[in-house]
Amino acid sequence: MAAPLELSCWGGGWGLPSVHSESLVVMAYAKFSGAPLKVNVIDNTWRGSRGDVPILTTEDNIVSQPAKILNFLRKQKYNADYELSAKQGADTLAYIALIEEKLLPAVLHTFWVESDNYFTVTKPWFASRIPFPLSLILPGRMSKGALNRILLTRGEPPLYHLREVEAQIYRDAKECLNLLSNRLGTSQFFFGDTPSTLDAYVFGFLAPLYKVRFPKVQLQEHLKQLSNLCRFCDDILNSYFRLSLGDG
Amino acid sequence: AAEPWPENATLYQQLKGEQILLSDNAASLAVQAFLQMCNLPIKVVCRANAEYMSPSGKVPFIHVGNQVVSELGPIVQFVKAKGHSLSDGLDEVQKAEMKAYMELVNNMLLTAELYLQWCDEATVGEITHARYGSPYPWPLNHILAYQKQWEVKRKMKAIGWGNKTLDQVLEDVDQCCQALSQRLGTQPYFFN
Repeated sequence: MAAPLELSCWGGGWGLPSVHSESLVVMAYAKFSGAPLKVNVIDNTWRGSRGDVPILTTEDNIVSQPAKILNFLRKQKYNADYELSAKQGADTLAYIALIEEKLLPAVLHTFWVESDNYFTVTKPWFASRIPFPLSLILPGRMSKGALNRILLTRGEPPLYHLREVEAQIYRDAKECLNLLSNRLGTSQFFFGDTPSTLDAYVFGFLAPLYKVRFPKVQLQEHLKQLSNLCRFCDDILNSYFRLSLGDG
Repeated sequence: AAEPWPENATLYQQLKGEQILLSDNAASLAVQAFLQMCNLPIKVVCRANAEYMSPSGKVPFIHVGNQVVSELGPIVQFVKAKGHSLSDGLDEVQKAEMKAYMELVNNMLLTAELYLQWCDEATVGEITHARYGSPYPWPLNHILAYQKQWEVKRKMKAIGWGNKTLDQVLEDVDQCCQALSQRLGTQPYFFN
């Protein structure tokens, strides 16, 4: 039998098993493919590492980054894309690229860069789960990393100014949400009746945006108008994550 | 936006023979192909400082009438405003797929090309540094090349490609090409 697989990731809140998009992608994929995953939520003790989360540990391997973790799970025969055709597999790659290029910058901005959101919600949440004195440093570092990523991939040199970039990334994100909504239509999952890798990615990025209560919510408002995407998130939460949310 | 397409529209890119790099050449070809497919005449002009002339710092850019537009995305929008479009016959789902595949190409292939050009030491030493700085005198050619390399490495690190080995990058490119090949199948174009 396969060695026990342990996943270190950020914990949950607001009805979600995790508020961190990448951790959520891995958790969703594991549920879809039936991989037995032992989830270790990062808390404010000094146990375990905090960088580069989510991290999958087995007896002799340590894998980080969602794409690599999913690849690893597939090699261990936990494959959620078994029934997809080659073309659907290609579509999966394309839509994941679309999400990472168009939606991720705005999600990062909503969580980590928008000052109201960051100081009232994100920072306290993460700081309470990181041991002192790291809790003073790590959230700030994560915020800078997010800002850096947004500016380097979207800002136009030589002026790396946030104002000019903000409007553009939110426009792109809204367009991306519309495209995803159009593609999903009325089906239950993106490729028929069984969830696949793409569903894991979409769920991972949309669910925190949908559920976490922020003061500044323009992207969330837009998402709430796309009822099929909201229904998609709720369905997955109810079918795959209800048991683990027993006591909140 | 209501003026017709002028005869003297020009596209600016870097010097073809000695200076232009793979990724910029690709972008320029994409714009040229797009304009040809729309049947819009365009003249290609090579300038050593094309990168600095462009309003966004990226090549290629086109000079049409009294407007300057750079990069494929904005150029497509601009051409659409003038009434020419290649994707009118697509429905919403196909348009979504088209955008997704464009992002895949951008995300994977362009990033891989940048990685190969600027982060792989052998390529950098033999080809990139020499080509990028070729129109400029010493020491400017070295300074500009190192500056650009530092910029690209920063970007790679920010998106998580900083620790990738060459083999991993090549694997990603392979996966991407396979995906594109699957999507194309035996049709002459992706969406018809």
